[in-house]
Amino acid sequence: MQVNGQLALTVLMGIFLVAVAAWLARIENWRSYTPIGGGGALGQQEGYVSEEKPSGIIRWLTTVDHKDIGLLYGTYGLIAFVVGGLMVTVMRIELIDPGMSFISNQFYNSLLTSHGITMLFLFGTPIIAAFANYLVPLLIGADDMAFPRINAIAFWLLPPAALLIWAGFFPIPDLIPAQTAWTMYTPLSAGVGAGNQANAGVDLMLLGLHLSGVSATMGSINFIATIFTERGDDVSWANLDIFSWTILTQSGLILFAFPLLGSALVMLLFDRNFGTTFFAGEGGAMLWQHLFWFFGHPEVYILVLPPMGIVSYVLPRFSGRRLFGFKFVVYSTLAIGVLSFGVWAHHMFATGMDPRLRASFMAVSLAIAIPSAVKTFNWITTMWNGRVRLTTPMLFCIGFVSNFIIGGVTGVFLASIPVDLILHDTYYVVGHFHYVVMGAIAFAGFAGLYYWYPLYTGRMYQKTLGKAHFWLSMVGTNITFFAMILLGYGGMPRRYATYLPQFASLHQVATIGALILFVGQVIFVWNFVQSWLEGPTVDDGDPWDLRESGLYTAEWDWYDQKLQTAIADGGEEEDSVLTDGGDEEESVRTDGGDVDAADD
Amino acid sequence: MANKIFDRDTLLDLTVNVVPLFIIGFFVVGFVVLAPFGIDPLASAIQFGLLAVPFVLLAVLTYFAGRAVAGAEHSSDVYLPGQASVRGAEPLEEFDDTPESLERDQTNAVEGETADDAADDH
Repeated sequence: MQVNGQLALTVLMGIFLVAVAAWLARIENWRSYTPIGGGGALGQQEGYVSEEKPSGIIRWLTTVDHKDIGLLYGTYGLIAFVVGGLMVTVMRIELIDPGMSFISNQFYNSLLTSHGITMLFLFGTPIIAAFANYLVPLLIGADDMAFPRINAIAFWLLPPAALLIWAGFFPIPDLIPAQTAWTMYTPLSAGVGAGNQANAGVDLMLLGLHLSGVSATMGSINFIATIFTERGDDVSWANLDIFSWTILTQSGLILFAFPLLGSALVMLLFDRNFGTTFFAGEGGAMLWQHLFWFFGHPEVYILVLPPMGIVSYVLPRFSGRRLFGFKFVVYSTLAIGVLSFGVWAHHMFATGMDPRLRASFMAVSLAIAIPSAVKTFNWITTMWNGRVRLTTPMLFCIGFVSNFIIGGVTGVFLASIPVDLILHDTYYVVGHFHYVVMGAIAFAGFAGLYYWYPLYTGRMYQKTLGKAHFWLSMVGTNITFFAMILLGYGGMPRRYATYLPQFASLHQVATIGALILFVGQVIFVWNFVQSWLEGPTVDDGDPWDLRESGLYTAEWDWYDQKLQTAIADGGEEEDSVLTDGGDEEESVRTDGGDVDAADD
Repeated sequence: MANKIFDRDTLLDLTVNVVPLFIIGFFVVGFVVLAPFGIDPLASAIQFGLLAVPFVLLAVLTYFAGRAVAGAEHSSDVYLPGQASVRGAEPLEEFDDTPESLERDQTNAVEGETADDAADDH
């Protein structure tokens, strides 16, 4: 009787699941999407048919189309950005007061750890993969990525990675979040001693990190194969766009850096769980730091090179002229790629290593400043006497250059051993690298998100909100991180949940800046989502008037073809939904696209 | 062939990577001449290895990248980057493979070599 009951329940559940699957498969499309208009890549030559791309959520779960996977990466990255941003907002509010007032010190340490890992591994790398997936095949004239299914697998490894990394925050008994900071220095992260870091939450975080590394490695192999083998007939090495160059270099860095992180993480997991002693005893802590930073410093360039590519790509479009010294930028990108593997121990100057080795790392760290500075001069020279149009993406590009100069110059000082020994482990370092990761990398991400918004949504964002987002981000970034640089000069050590009262004023300034940043990002999310749903449709394949200045590129040409070949569903044209009181002509021309206004 | 690819413009483009090479070279010489922390077989070997390896890798990568880019410029149409697959895009420089142009290239190459030789003589 009991068996029959179970059988009936199983059959019922089976029928229910089949019904759910059938319903999901028949669900209405998320967006207007026609087989010819949206399914094909450049030239529409590969002949997608509707049967190959189901509608509804099944499409997103099964897709191997590079553009869909790009959108998945983008959604994932932005969700992670929101999570990481909320974490740091809580931290900054706690730091208004010198003592422990709002959250516990342990919870602060947990947020500190997860904020770093989330922003670097769950936002930074995926948001770059979003741009690369969507754009590289379009830019190089490929039908799709070289390995579309590996591309899908690489993405689908990321959601479980995020769940593992955040697992300690979920209400699971006996599980606490990792409090190791993102650098996971041993012996703390090995779980030894009287602390609480032997907890399984740390193991899950390490496994999640490992999974995200596997994902990034698979993606990088795919990009290298795609750019080497899938370029269109006319796309020679001399014609390859700067964004694809940076993605190629970044993929090379990932290929050599991430497997090493994976190995180190496995060694650490073995130390924690299986009694190995890789990082125990004399030299163990140094071994971890060497292994970690051999990955960790190239990781910085893994994160910054593609955003540099976005800026090098977008900035000339609104300067009305070609990128100055294009090949300088290409070769300097490659130089950064190589040299980034020779500077890792500048993070370890204060560890007491042999001074001869330290001197060598200083030399290469100073040398790597040159290619970065070359790019900065190229961007400035491109704008010099150009026909600059201050659209939202252009504002973010200029903000990138400005913040990158501050972030870069503060970094050159840190490359010098005597200066580093004084400023090591202070807020100066935090200010320096946040100028780069938030002020530069995130800004370039926003520039790309706004510039290609019509391409991937078919709609236009609200320009006033876009500019409000920029100015709040720019002001917030500079208030927050400049205050941190000053805190560092004053000797405020980093990573602490509490501090001496003498640092209170500057911490409060930094918190005000962070709240300004927070308001800016709320506006961004609102603008991004609402415009996607209700923004005016863009019916022009050249929304930024690039043909006029001879700067029209392949991805917009693809978009133009998509518009021309789109089949209206049921033969009726969808009415463009306008923003409140917005005149379509004006709003779709957008954002400084009006040359006359810009010339004024 | 190498001279034809690494012409004056290409060499000028590659100077961007010569600067970091020079900086590394400067420190190598400095550490050899001054040796501020003394010489120890293991530590000094690692010290110079840490400079030599990036130096050599950067030089090799710069050479191959320059050869790939400049070689492509000399053997196919050159478009504005990102524009090659745009419908109806006009190349910035058209690849000319007529016998006259090849002859002209060879003449230029010979002249270049002659000029180099002359410079060497001085």
